[in-house]
Amino acid sequence: MRFRGGYNLRVKGRPSAAVEVLPEPDTLYLPLWSRRFKFTEICVKEGERVKAGRVLARDPASFNVPLLAPRGGVVRLKAADGHVVLENVVVAPEEPLSEADGLPHAPDKVVRSGKARHKLLALGAWQFFSDAHTGALPDPSGQPKAVIVSTLRFEPFLARGDVQITKRLVNFTRGLEHIQSLLEYQPIYLVLPQLKSDLADRVREITRGYAWVNIIHVPPRYPFDNPALLARHLKLKHDPKEPVWAVNVDGVLAVDRALTLSRPCTVRLISLGGPAVADPKHMKTIPGYPLRKLLDGRLTDPAVRVLNGGGLTDSPFEQEQLGIGAECVGITVLPELREREFLGFMRPGADRRSYSACFLSALLPLAPLRIDTAMRGERRACVSCGFCEEVCPAGIMPHLIHKYLYRDGLEEAEAARVELCIGCGLCSFVCPSKIELRRQMLDAQAKIRELQAEEVHS
Amino acid sequence: MRMLLDLFERLHPLVGNGGKLKALKPVVEATENFFFAPATVTVDSPHVRDALDLKRFMILVAFALAPCVVASVYFFGLRVLAMILVSYAVGGAIEVLFAIVRKEEINEGFLVTGLIFPLTLPPALPLWAVGVGVAIGVVLGKELFGGTGRNLFNPALVGRCLLAIGYPALMAGSWLAAGEGLTGRLLQYVDASTVNAVTSATPLGAAKHGVFASVGDLFWGNVAGSAGETSAIAIIVGGILLVITRVANWRTVAGVLGSFALLNAVLHQAAPQTFAPVGWNLCAGGLLFGAFFMATDPVTSPVTNGGKWVYAIIIGVVTLLIRSMTGYVEGVMFAILLGNISAPLIDEIVVRLRLRRLAHEG
Repeated sequence: MRFRGGYNLRVKGRPSAAVEVLPEPDTLYLPLWSRRFKFTEICVKEGERVKAGRVLARDPASFNVPLLAPRGGVVRLKAADGHVVLENVVVAPEEPLSEADGLPHAPDKVVRSGKARHKLLALGAWQFFSDAHTGALPDPSGQPKAVIVSTLRFEPFLARGDVQITKRLVNFTRGLEHIQSLLEYQPIYLVLPQLKSDLADRVREITRGYAWVNIIHVPPRYPFDNPALLARHLKLKHDPKEPVWAVNVDGVLAVDRALTLSRPCTVRLISLGGPAVADPKHMKTIPGYPLRKLLDGRLTDPAVRVLNGGGLTDSPFEQEQLGIGAECVGITVLPELREREFLGFMRPGADRRSYSACFLSALLPLAPLRIDTAMRGERRACVSCGFCEEVCPAGIMPHLIHKYLYRDGLEEAEAARVELCIGCGLCSFVCPSKIELRRQMLDAQAKIRELQAEEVHS
Repeated sequence: MRMLLDLFERLHPLVGNGGKLKALKPVVEATENFFFAPATVTVDSPHVRDALDLKRFMILVAFALAPCVVASVYFFGLRVLAMILVSYAVGGAIEVLFAIVRKEEINEGFLVTGLIFPLTLPPALPLWAVGVGVAIGVVLGKELFGGTGRNLFNPALVGRCLLAIGYPALMAGSWLAAGEGLTGRLLQYVDASTVNAVTSATPLGAAKHGVFASVGDLFWGNVAGSAGETSAIAIIVGGILLVITRVANWRTVAGVLGSFALLNAVLHQAAPQTFAPVGWNLCAGGLLFGAFFMATDPVTSPVTNGGKWVYAIIIGVVTLLIRSMTGYVEGVMFAILLGNISAPLIDEIVVRLRLRRLAHEG
């Protein structure tokens, strides 16, 4: 496949391959919201003692996705706003759950592999799936057009896919087989990085016998791992009735766990990265793990911004959030802007990274590079430098769309295919005029969808 | 450093909403952000941003012009520095005035215009003419369009063009023979009072009468010409810096010089009397300066890469045709202005083609 644009931000803070198993906490703070879900339907009572794997709450708007108890403990519903708190957490030997523990009967739906799909949903494996085009949770009883299984995560400071796969190749391939058994004839695309690695060779070797697996190679550059972009390159058009499922390595491993062992999938391998982390690496943890305990003693800066995800697309943790969310893939910690540099724009700039080669760092690939939350410039009018278009992986023209939106030309922006924007954030990153291109394009997309919905209703 | 920052912090309430000096806000803000990197932090994702801003973008052009400034001071004397000073002062004052009236920020674009403009002028031009030219260029060429980023024409070229049309005799009489020897004119200040003694035809002007300066002289720069345009080597050194740092797009430079050289080579074979040899023609006049520093202005050139090629070829071809086939001695200025005015149209066509292809994507 031929890709365009993209850019790898090379600064320190990328998590190493090391995985640390975090010590068991006494108390878990499970937030009742995550990126896609709002667990509004509480299924437990105050003071109740629950086993690990018990459904604590559900999201009725997303096919009743459950929030599972990762450990046994005593439920406290009012201890923290928007959280289910589990006190006196115990690590009990895990057993497969039975229906008596809250695993309900499979609904009478005439879907192929209905039981397996129901199990995925009930055991927390389904929430690793997304619609490649919209990012939403796909209907667990629907049939996809294709499945994209990605081993990659290129966003700066996020978990690397290979870390998860290395030791669990058997589980991974078994998970792939399980996914295949959910399908009729649809292809599975396995996305591997386009570089020589023993791991990729082994994966290729193992999946050689699987006629239903199509391996595709992707250059290791952000954001070529984006599901919407991959679907577009595979010529899979967006169709709400026949979505393209996208799932990462952690999802395949969860499928294997749910369908082979019938056990709840509550362990998450997340990354802790970013320039303000002393030792960026991976962590084996569970939803609800107290954030403060996780970050304690690991940061290098007193003033930091902690992001729930990667540095280019995700947002800071909400202030009231106390524990890791159900969908967390990584945590990025950025130092806040500390001091204002004297005559900064005239300095050689050996310590700062730029897409352009306007700083001395362009000649020093190994220089220690500084990065923080500074805007690093003032908001200015677009000078048409064209950098945003160069880095755009979607092949649209952010500068043009910006000019259309500046004069309220929503229809023109639509004609310029603003909906192809995948929100990777590279345009905003490189813009020397510091224009919030990503925000403007995502807002325009939302507005267009709103108008389309109104049209359908009227 | 700390004291200066404290001073600015004490000024904040004065220029803020309801402050006594509210009108001066753009000035204080610009000065503060000139000395200290802005205090703003990201709010929306991406939470990290590229280190490049417009100040750096523009100051790099000024850095890249340094060899030209040094060469022009060497060949034409200290007065070049006075011209630069006048240009910055008058143009800067206008920029500040417009910012105050508009209640907008002072824009960095002027860092470039203020320096590039005097370098395009005959080195003995009276200082009042420099001031008039830059005022016209900044007001008509930029501020009336809404400031940097919204202008249609290169402001420096608008100023120079109107000087050339308004004061043709003055412009034509202000050429200066380049200094010779170890110190050149480094220690001289040659102005209009002495210019009659030293006025000199530019190589392109002389070539119309069949007198050709040597390519070596053109390359090093000891010939008459606009202050910054004579030394090919100084322009190339600075220009390459601009291309490498990606402030100037290589396509524009390659397109202008390539189309010029190619057409010149063909036409020189056909009509050697009318068209000078390629090497000579490339180094003579303002072609290199225009190709590296003026045609590459991102604001006034097409934004699409395809458009840049078309634009650059227009400039290269028109320069050659004006230079060799009309009564004008040099054609770069008109060619670039013509390119500027066609840029939006070129972009429109390229964008439409792109959108037609995009229409069926995804």
